[in-house]
Amino acid sequence: MIRIECVTYSYSEGISALDGVDLEIGDSELLAIVGENGAGKTTLVKHLNGLLKPQHGRVLVEGIDTRETTVATLARKVGLVFQNPDHMLFAETVEKELAFALTNFGVPPEEIAKKVEWALIEFSLSNYRDRSPFTLSGGEKKRVSLASVLCYGPKIIVLDEPTTGQDNLQKTRLASTLTRLNRQGETVIVVTHDIEFVADFIPRVVVMSKGRVIADGPTEEILVRKDIMDASSILPPQLAELSWEIGLNTPSINTAMIVEEIRHMLGRTNK
Amino acid sequence: MKVFRAFEYRRGTTILHRVDPRSKLVYLILFTVLTVYFTRLLALLLVFLSFLPMVYIGKISARWKQSLRGSLFFIVFIFIFNFIPTAYLSGNIYGAAISAIAMSLRFLNLISVFSIFFLTTSPEDLTQSMVQLKIPYDYALTFNMAMRFVPTLSREAQYIMDAQRSRGLEMEKGNFISRIRNYIPVLIPLIISSFRRAELVADAMESRAFGASKKRTSLYILKMGRRDLLFITVALASSLALFAVNLFL
Repeated sequence: MIRIECVTYSYSEGISALDGVDLEIGDSELLAIVGENGAGKTTLVKHLNGLLKPQHGRVLVEGIDTRETTVATLARKVGLVFQNPDHMLFAETVEKELAFALTNFGVPPEEIAKKVEWALIEFSLSNYRDRSPFTLSGGEKKRVSLASVLCYGPKIIVLDEPTTGQDNLQKTRLASTLTRLNRQGETVIVVTHDIEFVADFIPRVVVMSKGRVIADGPTEEILVRKDIMDASSILPPQLAELSWEIGLNTPSINTAMIVEEIRHMLGRTNK
Repeated sequence: MKVFRAFEYRRGTTILHRVDPRSKLVYLILFTVLTVYFTRLLALLLVFLSFLPMVYIGKISARWKQSLRGSLFFIVFIFIFNFIPTAYLSGNIYGAAISAIAMSLRFLNLISVFSIFFLTTSPEDLTQSMVQLKIPYDYALTFNMAMRFVPTLSREAQYIMDAQRSRGLEMEKGNFISRIRNYIPVLIPLIISSFRRAELVADAMESRAFGASKKRTSLYILKMGRRDLLFITVALASSLALFAVNLFL
């Protein structure tokens, strides 16, 4: 359970990155945070493991105020994967890269081996086990960075732009990994511009704009609201645009529902 | 990493900003030489005090202080590594402490004088003045770009530290040796991304026809004026005065 209460943060005077954000994220939720560039998404997620401390308001992670603890303590609960894998990778081999966090947290060696093995398989990295992470392609590096955090099994997983540089197959695999972890009780928060990924896989969406939360709710309701999409400069899902174009009574991001609606309309005009 | 901020130029209109970079270069060289030459604490302290009016005139006190705070780690380092061997070898704790403080102050002076120079000198002017000093343009540009990438590098270092701390890295944990080891996960990505960036910049420059024409012309030419004469005179006079005081101390 994460409670973000009226949090403000500014990097330099006069320019606020977060301007009074309130948000509650329950246990084992799967949600996306979307918004234009500079909306404050990354600043917000940096508050979740204490890398940034709120200047006003507070952030409670499972009841603990982030100002009263260290990043290392929070990182065990909250796994944060950053956008750019090049900011993470440093080890000689992929295997050692994955073991880094586990070693930091003092996990016993046999446990480390088991968890690394799981992550190698989960992110289809087994063939690269002994390769240097620097020799991998962009997409593969991204997977290593995801695996290097997910492998230690944090209760809350926060991913910043996890789909960049991934083809459709890897995106689908990522989605199924996230969905499965989520079903096992983990909270998954995805920060992304990839609105189709959100529309397809993520049930709750939080829309941010200019340091504020401007909408929060079920994905199928939020992403079809033209006013919200426009206000946050998000490219709406194609199905939502199609629904608006046709003038459906209940715009949707679900193919089956749109087909149903169109059938309904056609049926009416035919009569 | 805040220590990098010490060299980040910000536009300004004070006399220190408007003086020709070449005049400031004279100042930089004079005071660097003095700092390196002086060994006595009092002399170094006087040099340090002489920076205060400069910082005030240039309106850079906030950033200058930041740079001093940022270099605290190195200062402690320098102090310890001067104090312990000297005290051990000579057995004179008081003398060792004084000389260790002097060494730390010397470092502070160097940081300060370079900070004053770079905080008030725009990189473009600096490159131009180097070219006018007959330094080949390629070298001048290389230098300019190295300076230009300092803030980028410092931002990047911050991102990397955030990422590694999120994976449970505790920079401040352990004894002295393991603290240095803690920097490895930060330094390796930083170095690799710097190489990668250098390659990217080279490609970008070549695709914009860098080096296509042998002879370059400049839109602006820097000219020395009365202001510069005054500045150099004051710099020379004050360094001579400090030199003299050091002789008689």
